[in-house]
Amino acid sequence: MKPKQFQKIVSEVRDQSFTEEVQKLRGGENILDCIQCGVCSGSCPARFAMDFSPMQIIKMIHLGMRDQVLSSSTIWICASCYTCATRCPRGIDIPMFMSALKNIAIKNGFASDDEIKPKFHKSFTEIIRKYGRMHEPELKMKLMRKSDLRELYQNAVLAFRLWRKGKVKLLAPRMDQLSHISEIFEDLLEKQEEEASK
Amino acid sequence: MKYAFFPGCAVHASAKEYGMSCKAISKVLGIELIEIPEWNCCGSIDAIYAHNPVLSISLSARNLSLAEKMGTDVITLCSACFFTLSRANKLMHEDPKLKGQVDNVLGNLKLNYNGEIKVRHFLDVLLNDVGLEKISENVKVPLKELRVAPYYGCLLVRPPEIANFDEPEHPTSMDKLMEVLGATNVNYLDKTRCCGASLIVTKERIALEMTKNLLLTAKNAEADCIVTACPMCHFNLDAMQKDVESTFDVDINLPVLYITQVIGIAFGLNVKELGLNRNCVSPMKLLSKLKI
Repeated sequence: MKPKQFQKIVSEVRDQSFTEEVQKLRGGENILDCIQCGVCSGSCPARFAMDFSPMQIIKMIHLGMRDQVLSSSTIWICASCYTCATRCPRGIDIPMFMSALKNIAIKNGFASDDEIKPKFHKSFTEIIRKYGRMHEPELKMKLMRKSDLRELYQNAVLAFRLWRKGKVKLLAPRMDQLSHISEIFEDLLEKQEEEASK
Repeated sequence: MKYAFFPGCAVHASAKEYGMSCKAISKVLGIELIEIPEWNCCGSIDAIYAHNPVLSISLSARNLSLAEKMGTDVITLCSACFFTLSRANKLMHEDPKLKGQVDNVLGNLKLNYNGEIKVRHFLDVLLNDVGLEKISENVKVPLKELRVAPYYGCLLVRPPEIANFDEPEHPTSMDKLMEVLGATNVNYLDKTRCCGASLIVTKERIALEMTKNLLLTAKNAEADCIVTACPMCHFNLDAMQKDVESTFDVDINLPVLYITQVIGIAFGLNVKELGLNRNCVSPMKLLSKLKI
């Protein structure tokens, strides 16, 4: 993959309330402690694919660049591998606040239409709600773009390879206490959705 | 040695051979793993967490509560489950408000969690509870000819506040195990570099590029195989290796074995029992090198 044309930060509209919002997020409490040393960005194994580096994202949060942060590809590409947080001399939990930013971006419709991650989060959560455990083939099916013939072909090849090695479990997982899972979801997901719709 | 065992979704599905080989070597080493009855998804590192953190932590907490009833620490095979369950444990300990929310959810299920157990990875148990000495006593086939690249990846050793049985930057637990089995560890740079497994479903091209770099550094260090302790890493490095080869037009063909499979080989256990026929990149050439 060719390295992306890295973007410069141009701050036009500053929304200081965004900085405060991030400071209230888990992982964002000490975001103002960042000294812009760049260790996170130098360590990030997925930096090559991001539009802004983790260090730039933090600076943009400092500057209150809400829209640019929430519509960046960075928050979706972070793989939560914790290299950055392990090395950060200021002890900032970068993957944790990236997760929280995803949450805000999903809720406020910031993800672009071709960004598959919100759908991934939703489908993953739905499957766990349904079975209590992951059902890998179903997740793949939910996420596949069925109109893309090349993708269908590649997936068929992969599925065959996995099936030959006994790695495709077609039967969905079963739990006897599935009612527990339903209750957890009712308690938390529905309540949250009710609050959001108010 | 008796533990509550949390297999995780992958070990019940695409990573069966990890569970099989773990069971086989546990029998030899006298480790009793009792699967937590009615366990559920660990809560996921990010997929559910980014959607609703309390939901993710409550899912973790249900597992922890079931394990606490069994009166032992929880053992996981998957680095991601290890991280997710440990994170829930840590956050509930640090944040009384969160603990209260989770307690409410658990209360509705007539469960409770006192926070008295620890979450540990199976590798930690092998190294610190079983010990290298006992492992070396059971070696029947020293892996003299074998050059291995131990691969730790991300959440097995990071972040240090959660994964604290090894060093985050220069971990050595698997290297030590390999030495005891008689194998030679190759020197390569990427042993803790993320393989990109959490992106493989959604951002395949990026994940494959990350995997490619890793596979190539291990290959260039003249490793006969990569050894891993996580079903996510294994899926990416082993099952997706053909896709790496076709996408980037490179020839890799590097077997990727679970640490439990390698230990099982050295213990002289049966190839089928260790599920070695289930690895996508065939390790058979490697086994014939060891005259198995």
